Amino acid sequence: MITDFPKNPLPLPDPAEVSAELAAFGGGQIIPKDLRRTVFPVITKEDVFTLLLAQRQAPEKVVADFADAYRAYVGAGWALPTASGTSSLHLALVGAGVQPGDEVIVPAFTFIATAQAVVAAHAVPVFVDIDPRTYCMDPAAAAAAITGRTRAIMPVHVHGLPADVPALRALADRHGIALVEDASHAHSARIGDQVAGSFGDAAGQSLMADKNFPLGGEGGIAFFREESAYRRAADYVRRHGIDYEMSWIAAAFGSGQLARLPYYDAVRARNARVLGEALDETGLFSAPHVPEGHVHAYNMYRIGLHPERAGLEDLPVWAVKEAVHELLVAEGVPAREWQNTPIPCHLPFRHRDGFGGGYPFSLNPGAVRDHRPQDFPVTAGMLESTLVLCRELRAPVEYERLLRYADAFRKVARRPDAIRKLVADGDYRRPYEKAARLG
Amino acid sequence: MELFDTATVLTRVLTTGVVMSIEKNDRELPGLERLLTKRTGRARAVLVNSRSAAVHSALAGQGIGHGDEIRQRGLGEKDRAFLAWLGVTVREDGPEDATPAFDHIALDAGNLHRLGELAAEATAPALVVDLTGLGFGPAAAVLTDDPALQARAERLKIFGAYDLRTMWTQQEDAADLVPGVQFNYRLSPLVAACARMALGQATRTPASSGAAS
Repeated sequence: MITDFPKNPLPLPDPAEVSAELAAFGGGQIIPKDLRRTVFPVITKEDVFTLLLAQRQAPEKVVADFADAYRAYVGAGWALPTASGTSSLHLALVGAGVQPGDEVIVPAFTFIATAQAVVAAHAVPVFVDIDPRTYCMDPAAAAAAITGRTRAIMPVHVHGLPADVPALRALADRHGIALVEDASHAHSARIGDQVAGSFGDAAGQSLMADKNFPLGGEGGIAFFREESAYRRAADYVRRHGIDYEMSWIAAAFGSGQLARLPYYDAVRARNARVLGEALDETGLFSAPHVPEGHVHAYNMYRIGLHPERAGLEDLPVWAVKEAVHELLVAEGVPAREWQNTPIPCHLPFRHRDGFGGGYPFSLNPGAVRDHRPQDFPVTAGMLESTLVLCRELRAPVEYERLLRYADAFRKVARRPDAIRKLVADGDYRRPYEKAARLG
Repeated sequence: MELFDTATVLTRVLTTGVVMSIEKNDRELPGLERLLTKRTGRARAVLVNSRSAAVHSALAGQGIGHGDEIRQRGLGEKDRAFLAWLGVTVREDGPEDATPAFDHIALDAGNLHRLGELAAEATAPALVVDLTGLGFGPAAAVLTDDPALQARAERLKIFGAYDLRTMWTQQEDAADLVPGVQFNYRLSPLVAACARMALGQATRTPASSGAAS
């Protein structure tokens, strides 16, 4: 039987490896090639039994029970389980009162599904720049983008860090518009005692298997503060014949995972703290910023680069990033860009065909404009100067791996000369000059 | 379906640890695609997570979208409402033998064994096969012999311009398939595995084993 159980244990860290030759230059790898795969979610016999028992129940009850349990965990008033994160965002917008042709303010940095969900709701996304410290929507930029046709502000809790909800809530209230969260990275993320998904008038959240809280494959859930919003969304899918229902199989698997979520949260928080301390000690790297009172969920871990602290201030930061990226990947660290250009510069928003013939953009031509990366300087600057660990901090069995990651960052940071050499030899380009990528 | 068989399939898939639909080593989705093409006599399959997703994919695959008109007879109220939401006008007049934009088959345990003959009767460029009635949750597929239809339908359920399974390496190579709005219509491997098991059972003689339930 095929299994994903690891075949070999990961060796304990060896201090000498940090000062050894870089893997990219012929030295040994911090994490050997055959030991790089991470395991998540961890599937146990309890998960199997949960599904076996669920198949004997009415499928709608399995889904409803799961949705209610998770709704209670989040603290939202109402919930609609869906087949995907995108559909949950779509329904959140509909529930919040978004109508065809309305404008919805979204950040220029997010997964593209956030903006595509706005189009799915027959509305027009209006993109704004982000805050450089949090990578979430900049409230000032959002305020500047509000027009008479703005119906909702949709912040994204990027990588699992809640956006500046107090400021955005106040902004929405001043203008009589809705606050709709994209909480797809932010399972268990908090501001104070409030959990992401319950901050706004509505929220959409992905429960896909690469999220902190995975169902058995694809899934999502929309949360609503008020019953009227929930009814509006539920009636919408019925009236339009849209099938967005969650599979009972996904829900049954999720029920088991929900019980483990607090434990996984604790592991991620610990791992983030340990890695953050190691990064900050290097000078070249910095850990994600977390505002006071916020709890980061760490679905992803975005690391800042500071060439000036390593004597590389004369080099373009994006070239240093490319070089460091190569060095880290060679060591076995799964560093990625995770996006290389602002979302409005991707094909669907450059061509804007929508549902066909330019609908719904044709409903509100005044809200439509062509964008360049330079229109979002904070987003572009962030993409030039950061790298991401996508999903490698989440598993409880990976503490040793975390220590190896920390050692790899230390190893690279000790060698500004190697970075300089790669920059001199490499043919690097700015991120947005390459083909637009989402992962 | 037989609970024991479903239990076996769920156990097997869970044990592999592959439950994400964009895993590079997922084999359930490709397996179901192959099985459906074999049973329907069509060359290509697009798997999606619901009937309306399949209808949408069937039309998008043919470049039919908002503002377009199709001739289609016998649509149910639900499909009609969905097409109206897409902005597609449906006309039911015209010749009786006109080729529709899509045909549809709704499978359940009672007619699963007839998939081949039902598919043979279909003449549209896209065949929508609704698998929801099998009892594993919403699921459907679009079957076609047209590679362009498949390519466009696949674009509808991914994001940007790249296949998510290769999104970290693939360069743009089909600029003519510019995506419009995109939906996450992806099917979960667990659901695909169960549907695949059900289809596999549809044409074999049930073995007697154990006590009657």
